[in-house]
Amino acid sequence: MNTDIYGNLFTAMAILAASAVISPIVAGTKRKLAGWINFIMVTIAAIFLLHISYAVIFKAVPQGSTIINLGPLGVYFLVDSFSAFFIAIVSFMAVMSSFYSIEYMDHYHDYSLSGFYFNLPVFILGMIALLTVDDLTIGFTIAWQLMTIASYFLIKFEFREKNVVYGANKYLVLMELAWALIVGSTFLVSGSSMGDSLHIITENLGHTSPVMMYAVYGLILVGFGFKAGMFPFGQLWLPDAHSIAPSPISALLSGVMLKTGIYGIMRTFFWMTPHGEGVHFNGFLWGTIIASFGVVTLFVGTVQSMKQSDSKRLLAYSSIGQLGYIIFAIGASLVLFNSESQYMKLLALVVIIGALYHVINHAVFKGLLFLVSGSVLYTTGTKDLNKLGGLINFMPVTAVVAGIASLSIAGVPPFSGFASKWTIISSTVLAGSEVTFLVIFGIIALFTSAVTLSCYVKFFGMTFTSTGTEWTVKKDIKEVPFMMLAPKVVLTALCIIQGLLPFVYYNVIIEVFRNSNISTLTNAFRHAEFNNHIFSSMSGISFTVPGMAGAVSSAAVPIVILIVVSLAFVIAKLFKNSGGSEEREAPTWLCGYAELNNLNRYPDRSMFASLKGFFWWTGGNVKK
Amino acid sequence: MDIVYIVVNIVIFLAFAPLFEGIVRKLTAKVQSRQGPPVIQPYYDIIKLLGKENFIVGNWAFTLAPLMSFAAIISVICFVPLGYKANFLTQYADVITIIYLLTLGGVSILLGALSSKNTFAMMGASREMVTMIMVEPVLAMTFFVGAVKVKSLGIDATIFSVMNTGYSWAVVLMMALYLMALQAFVGKQPFDIAEAEQEILEGPFIEYSGPNYALFKYSMMLKQMFYASLFVMVFVPFLYTGVYALDIAIQLCEIALVYVLIALVGATNPRLRIDQAVKYYAVLIVLALSAVGLSVYGI
Repeated sequence: MNTDIYGNLFTAMAILAASAVISPIVAGTKRKLAGWINFIMVTIAAIFLLHISYAVIFKAVPQGSTIINLGPLGVYFLVDSFSAFFIAIVSFMAVMSSFYSIEYMDHYHDYSLSGFYFNLPVFILGMIALLTVDDLTIGFTIAWQLMTIASYFLIKFEFREKNVVYGANKYLVLMELAWALIVGSTFLVSGSSMGDSLHIITENLGHTSPVMMYAVYGLILVGFGFKAGMFPFGQLWLPDAHSIAPSPISALLSGVMLKTGIYGIMRTFFWMTPHGEGVHFNGFLWGTIIASFGVVTLFVGTVQSMKQSDSKRLLAYSSIGQLGYIIFAIGASLVLFNSESQYMKLLALVVIIGALYHVINHAVFKGLLFLVSGSVLYTTGTKDLNKLGGLINFMPVTAVVAGIASLSIAGVPPFSGFASKWTIISSTVLAGSEVTFLVIFGIIALFTSAVTLSCYVKFFGMTFTSTGTEWTVKKDIKEVPFMMLAPKVVLTALCIIQGLLPFVYYNVIIEVFRNSNISTLTNAFRHAEFNNHIFSSMSGISFTVPGMAGAVSSAAVPIVILIVVSLAFVIAKLFKNSGGSEEREAPTWLCGYAELNNLNRYPDRSMFASLKGFFWWTGGNVKK
Repeated sequence: MDIVYIVVNIVIFLAFAPLFEGIVRKLTAKVQSRQGPPVIQPYYDIIKLLGKENFIVGNWAFTLAPLMSFAAIISVICFVPLGYKANFLTQYADVITIIYLLTLGGVSILLGALSSKNTFAMMGASREMVTMIMVEPVLAMTFFVGAVKVKSLGIDATIFSVMNTGYSWAVVLMMALYLMALQAFVGKQPFDIAEAEQEILEGPFIEYSGPNYALFKYSMMLKQMFYASLFVMVFVPFLYTGVYALDIAIQLCEIALVYVLIALVGATNPRLRIDQAVKYYAVLIVLALSAVGLSVYGI
């Protein structure tokens, strides 16, 4: 059976385009109906797209670069299992976000939704196009501009607020700069012309002088680095853009749009690398550079996130931090892949699996967290953590969901962030026995995951437990409607599944690399020796190192951890009830002098004050 | 058979942790020229607390927190190779898992504190989190010094690395750093900043009473014993006999010695402020990083 991959792709794109025409017309009078139409059409498109992903990844439908004529222009398209992997994530999150938008967007009574429902499908279309075009000039420009301009208008949705317009404009300018850097880089490749496919560019790169090659890779890294939120470029636009956009859009921006930057970086440094006689691509050096950027990004982004009091800004900075993990893993993989020993090459494969796994995990839990903060904003009208507090009894479902998402992103076993962070950290620490700086980077990554935990203890604690809304929010607080709960519950279920069954995803990712367009990485994954050292079975994930016969070097089995913790929980429960004591509710006790009130409660800005002071030099400080 | 080791772990930890706490209290009293409570006082405390009335604030997070804290530390103990015996569970986790599980215990304390709505509790929670962030890397690097040498993150391989490969300068440095961080690991003076009884009234635990408080108190004791036993297992493995029961007995004696040290340091040092402590931890982290670096080069 041969699936018509490109036929399906263009059908999906056409459906998205049709949605951009139909929903805005309806949106003028029937706002919710427009949302439903948009959701249904996005879902149909997503089914087509997921079908492509499934066919390309699992059935290994071979795909070469195909030229498609759009009027006078010929644009190269390439769908291989690597792009299919990202397409699947984009389509899934697009469906979740569209569904959430139906109810959520309705509460902006002062704003027309026509523009929103025009731009949302175009934005999704742009992302899909960016993942499938196979050049860095014409097709790339069309896709990038569709994505950027549509998302610009989505971010600028509340155009009557001054700071929203400012943030959105900044976003547009910087994304155009990034575009110019990437497109500009191709002109430095000798003998290349407009519309060349990546394959041709790669061949030409082989004949380019070493200096120019450094410039080309440098420009592309910075360009996609802008998109992926790499330090220091991400800090320029990301926190503003993500915090001002409507929440379902923030979820898409953070959950999937940033990943197109990751996609670009990986495509460039693993596929667009010439090899052969007299070629000067220095993988070790570029790996070191990317890993260094990554580790700085993850540390600085997360520490800045800890300082924020605006919940959406906190999430936005934390996106920078989490993307840092992925960038770091890509760099580490490149370093290890270009080192001599067999042991290191094996670890390179483990790290890159971890990077892709973190891509999925981050899409899910960060999307979820933005939807949570959207729900809180919807029901209380504020996203200031200083004002929020005590929502746990009013919004129980959202609270549970937020708790699980927070544990997932902080990497607490057995939730989803644990498996991917574990993979990245354990393999880089083990690699440290030969590449010293990687063990240091690994330790910084581990330290940072404790800081991540502090961000989310704060996020969860200051929103759902603690106190505040009694005095600061006048509205009647209640749980958000079912329409806004459903996507969150689905994503929460995924957080748990991804945490407990990492081996399922591991096998998928291994398939992705095996079936992708040919590259050195693909060959390594197809190599038989790989099977003997990395195990992903029902018992979780583990890997051994050559030379240590029999012994497992590192293993993590979330299911076993879950069982152990649950049993321990039973012991704790039995122990607690053993005395037969009675329970009674009692008010908060402040030494008998005063009742708890708005003036003597503990506000968010005081949390971790000593640590914020200690890390003042990382920037992103919030004025008191 | 391996499963028996897990049960032994749990039983020994549950049985001895309050005793060691009692020794610390007695010794502290002696140093300060007081009579002090009997050595078995902590057992009495826990039994009494279990029967007392349980005051709650009225949300599920408040009730969940102590249970989670206790469960987390019990889970950690399951993986520990006490008596130099790797058990059935050891193959299913590595040291990174242990570190993350320990943070689960810390998170529970914070969750409890934040949901108790008390200003003092939140102050304590904020300090507890800062301490956790800053001392976790030192713990991690204690493991990694061994891990990079044996090229494995397995619990037994890492913890027994000193036993199998001997002392190096890196190990000696790390051992010194572990001792310097020990008071912070176990939350005793000069680093009992989060609880700080005289200042913020037990901080995170202020609203807890009865069985809930018993759970917290017990898990704190277990955590202290875990850190003391980790020191013994990693850094002083030379009294290894090969007889399981004897090994455990020897380790318990060594753990008791570590507790004596904890008590003496605790009794003679005043509490630091949190900002001073953060700077102290930062120095420890940097030194620990260099220990790992030395270990990579086999020094």
